Amino acid sequence: MAATTTITAPMRQAVPHIAIEDDATPMVRLVGRTLRDAAIAGNAVEVLDRASGTVAVRSHDTPQTATITFLGGTVEVVAGAPAEPDATVVVDLNARFAATQEPRGDGVLAADVLRSLTPPVPHWRDAAARFWEATRQIPGIPDVLDVHAVVPDGVERARFGEGATSYGITGPADLLAGVFSGADDFLVSLSAGLQVQGTLSQLSVMTAASWKVRFDV
Amino acid sequence: MSETTIARRAVRLEATNHEGSFLGKNVSPAKFEAGKEAGFAFADILFAIDLNNEIVLGDAFPEWRGNLYDIQMIPDLATLVEWKPGLDAVIGDYWLKDGTPVPICPRNLVRKLVARLADLGYDATVAVEIEATLFEESVHEARARGYRDLTPLGGSTGSTYHLARSSDWIAYMEAVVERLDRVGITWEAWTDEAAPGQTELNLAPTDPVRLADGWARTRQVMREVAFELGHTVSFMAKPTAGFGQGAHINISLQSDGVNRFFDEDGPSDLMRHAVGGLLATMAGNTAIALPQITSYRRLVDLTGPPTTISWGVNNKTAAVRAITGHPKYSRLEYRLPGADVNPYLALAGVLAGVLAGIERQIEPPAEVTDMAWCLPDDIGVERIPDTMSKAGAALAADPLLRAYLGDAFVDFWVASRRWEWMEFHTKGGDPFAELSAWESQRYFEFP
Repeated sequence: MAATTTITAPMRQAVPHIAIEDDATPMVRLVGRTLRDAAIAGNAVEVLDRASGTVAVRSHDTPQTATITFLGGTVEVVAGAPAEPDATVVVDLNARFAATQEPRGDGVLAADVLRSLTPPVPHWRDAAARFWEATRQIPGIPDVLDVHAVVPDGVERARFGEGATSYGITGPADLLAGVFSGADDFLVSLSAGLQVQGTLSQLSVMTAASWKVRFDV
Repeated sequence: MSETTIARRAVRLEATNHEGSFLGKNVSPAKFEAGKEAGFAFADILFAIDLNNEIVLGDAFPEWRGNLYDIQMIPDLATLVEWKPGLDAVIGDYWLKDGTPVPICPRNLVRKLVARLADLGYDATVAVEIEATLFEESVHEARARGYRDLTPLGGSTGSTYHLARSSDWIAYMEAVVERLDRVGITWEAWTDEAAPGQTELNLAPTDPVRLADGWARTRQVMREVAFELGHTVSFMAKPTAGFGQGAHINISLQSDGVNRFFDEDGPSDLMRHAVGGLLATMAGNTAIALPQITSYRRLVDLTGPPTTISWGVNNKTAAVRAITGHPKYSRLEYRLPGADVNPYLALAGVLAGVLAGIERQIEPPAEVTDMAWCLPDDIGVERIPDTMSKAGAALAADPLLRAYLGDAFVDFWVASRRWEWMEFHTKGGDPFAELSAWESQRYFEFP
């Protein structure tokens, strides 16, 4: 009997489907977009694949709430919070979903959700490239994005696009990565070390661009 | 020179911004005389601040806007009145330095659409029913309470048409109409309305610009009288978690002095096409007629406001009520706007719909002869967009309103409403509350 070799295809985990409700609130959009990014990046995929579980996510300083429901390969995000979720987490939406108090309910589920909501931010240069690509269709977007990233040993620079109008953004590399990936709020970041050079109109357009990557609106 | 001019110590320049807030400045008589033809400089930011004084962001500014450029407010001297002894008041429009109108100036938008109607040979006659709620407390007390838990003036029982309201409520309304008479605003009626403390004040039919001027000034009069009497008035769409308040607009078209909406057999062809245009643009116009977050909380079946894109002859449950059969009084009542609407933009939206309908001969859908609330989903009557985000999307996609109001206005308005929606959700508003404190703080006093 001839020897046979069975070749097994490498295990490929399907990317869970992240669904948000129609006419979703900014928080639902933010949670949905973050989970989608986490799934694509392969972060906490086993969490997103959970067979069941309902987690209420509450903002620590506003009435914003969202509920994440795991349905075995599909994750649904809707506004509001059920009366008795399996777990509740309270987070700072302007600090990359950092928990501000001890979760309630199923501690393992809560920890899983917090992990899935805090994927590592990409390198600032990759994030900037994707940001630039994703926002090209926004009316009035400048032709050129000029980025100066402050890193421990100096300043790194990158330039995206060509043309007559340009916009300059300078800041700590991690903050730039957060803004460009949507993890951080652009306007809030202006008081956290982000600096910009451009017109007021360009600031307005860049706000729209930041909403695009943060909330997908 | 009249005694009024001699006694003048200041002139108040008046106009609404996009939100409908009555903005302006007081200038000395000498300054007014020097600038009344060339205009007075205002920062373009007046069209870019929200009701919390934040700069509205999220869109590309048009060329006329820059790093806080100036625009010119040129007074319309036909509106010059003595507001009170020593103070005259005049309403103006905003213009660019090249002599063209600011494309998002609400009053100029109405003027443009009136002129377009005139090109077709029609004059519009419009009237409005202004609803407002009065509270016993002074505005200082209201502020201290966060505009919550206030006492309705005139008693706390809900009613309509009651003549037995307590005399404090009556004294307030009598003072208001006395002031209106003095500044030349023609009113027709005032009455007790459905909610505790609520009134309805009807301004007489006139041309659209004059009506909007009178409407904006009437709000100012009602605020000033409330202040003088130690009370508070609010035009918020829902000043309390209970009843809301609207601003129904009545419109008819005349040519050669004849009401062209009249026909012996019901709606004339012209009226029917006007209805067609108003309904075709209603979803998009909702973003204008219901401008604030709270505006959408009124859209509840069986409570008064329309909830469906519908029309009917003498049907007050529909969004457009056709009043027919009378050579003088045949008209359309557009029941969508909230009390918090910008008067000029409300009229611009209505005129745009009417123009679209008659120029393009748009046939309306079938008249709703049943009650237009609570209709089944499958009978072909769409519901009015019930959130700011849905209404904004409808306006952005409306080719008719883009054609008549202009891309500059539509893009600006859609962006400003998206900012408002974002501010509400991310800065403390609660969509699940019946009325959140964020809304009271933002909308109770202004616009």
